[in-house]
Amino acid sequence: MIKRYFTLLLIVLISIRLSAQVWVVPAENDARKSPFAFDDASRKAGSEIYMTSCKSCHGEPGKNNAVPLVPPPPDMSSVRMQANSDGAMQYKITNGRGTMPSFKNTIATTDVWKVISFVRSFNDKYVQEVAAQAAGGASVANVNIKLNWLKEQNQIQATLSAPSKDKGILPVGGAEVKLFAKRYFGNLLVDEARNTDAAGVALFNFPKDLPGDSAGLVQLVVALSNEAFGDAKRDTTLAIGVPTYRPPLNEQRAMWNVVSKTPIWLLLAYTIAVFGAWGFIIYVFLQIRGIYRAGSEKNTESAE
Amino acid sequence: MSQNSNGTGHEHTSREEDNVNSRRAFFKNFGLFGAVAAVGGAAIYSGYEYQESKPGHDMVKVLTSDNRIVEVPRDQIKDVKVDTDQLQKQGREGLKGHRFVMVIDLSKCRNARKCISACQGAHHLRPYEYHINTLVMQESEHTAPYFMPKPCQHCDNPPCVAVCPVDATFKRQDGIVLIDNERCIGCRFCIAACPYSARLFHWEEPLMAESDKGKPYNIELNVPQRKGTITKCLFSSDRLREGKLPYCVSACPNGVYYFGDENQDAVTNGTTKETFRLSELLKVNAGYQLMAELGTKPRVYYLPPKNRLFEFKDEKDPVQETT
Repeated sequence: MIKRYFTLLLIVLISIRLSAQVWVVPAENDARKSPFAFDDASRKAGSEIYMTSCKSCHGEPGKNNAVPLVPPPPDMSSVRMQANSDGAMQYKITNGRGTMPSFKNTIATTDVWKVISFVRSFNDKYVQEVAAQAAGGASVANVNIKLNWLKEQNQIQATLSAPSKDKGILPVGGAEVKLFAKRYFGNLLVDEARNTDAAGVALFNFPKDLPGDSAGLVQLVVALSNEAFGDAKRDTTLAIGVPTYRPPLNEQRAMWNVVSKTPIWLLLAYTIAVFGAWGFIIYVFLQIRGIYRAGSEKNTESAE
Repeated sequence: MSQNSNGTGHEHTSREEDNVNSRRAFFKNFGLFGAVAAVGGAAIYSGYEYQESKPGHDMVKVLTSDNRIVEVPRDQIKDVKVDTDQLQKQGREGLKGHRFVMVIDLSKCRNARKCISACQGAHHLRPYEYHINTLVMQESEHTAPYFMPKPCQHCDNPPCVAVCPVDATFKRQDGIVLIDNERCIGCRFCIAACPYSARLFHWEEPLMAESDKGKPYNIELNVPQRKGTITKCLFSSDRLREGKLPYCVSACPNGVYYFGDENQDAVTNGTTKETFRLSELLKVNAGYQLMAELGTKPRVYYLPPKNRLFEFKDEKDPVQETT
């Protein structure tokens, strides 16, 4: 009897402890499904993203070598991780919480599904349910993005269109589009994500102070990652940035720089000091020689 | 006078005799050499014939750079010769058009020490040899304690470089201060000059001295390390060359580090890989530099430890505890 009470108490305690840590996912997000069926290609792409963005905390799947954080990041093969629905995983990766960062702006929506596809490969019992519209093969592929630079307003206009079976080329409305500027270590989100209007147009305000290269050129990427419309990207280079040239940091004359970059004052002071010292020595020598000469002239005079 | 002329005449004849002797000797030697060459050549040729006639080579499986496993005969394997002159040259020049900066967000650091272990792994250092270290900070009794990762500040006015008598440590065009272990004479002036204590001296034989023996020296990695010389944080310049974030930055699990290019006004977080405007990040979070009043113009910025995400436990340095 006491034993039974104890077990019950333990279960209650554990459930309280767990409920304190429960990460509530909105029902709408929880029910979401991947727009495509998981296959080897998606698992491979997902594994690459996992290794660069997730491994540093969650460790290698199945090895239980996650970083000991609070709350602990679960291993991919763990029951706790696999108990999440596909939609819940998508929500958690996108939004983050506490130590789990948000990957909203760094991993595209379809790439998140690829990561989930990789995570599911560590669960033998998993059977995928693909989202209805995608299963019916109704997803719109081959979205074309056109870019325009409205110079007066300093805006970038992205126009999305896609071919349809019977109505020719149609605008893509209501799709979220992001504008990035390429930087050395990653893409910088310019302005916020925008939704296209009924005409398939999204307008981005471009900041006036973003540095470009010496000619002001900036590489721009407009990316669409949408479950219904698939992935589309468009690269372009525009002279839209502030022309920036900054001289190399070791070009100035300074004490710490190489010999050819010696500060002028040091060069002058050194030269003057060296010439001054030698000049003095030579002057003394000449004086001594003069004294010697004067002496020997007098001697010859006295000898005569 | 006559004695002198006699003397020179005698010398003249003896030199002629020498010439004759040497010519004779030359032909004699040449004959000998010819014979040796013929015999040697025949021996090499027969050896070659024997090698060719052998029924099969000893095959070795090798992984190529494009991830294929191929088989090659063991005797055909040659070591790849790394152009060490090129390594030195590119290491001295640096990357054109960049000015690298690091931003460290103190509110996120919780002493996971992954940056330290990643750095020590890359540069073959012992657990108590730090290019980067997280310090336990408390300004005074009533102020909040916090953890502070401290790498080399890669100053734009570096006192360490100014005092180096042999041009072993230098500043590159992209702002990185490096040390050439092949030039360093171990005088340790730079250690005395550095106000951030960012440099360390190899008093003992480096950790992987045995296994690194004979490896080409990479100035951008400081590997192989050398006893009796200085080593310091290099901003992982070998990784920057490939467009990758430094070892410490990408190893951090807590999003402490941002790294980027001041010329592009952008820094990328090592954990989330999200890119931010550098100027905005510093402005919004009141970024500051370490001991900027010394006029060293550091290239590392700190974001103050406000709204810390973690409780600060009275933790001791785990390494010092174990040693």
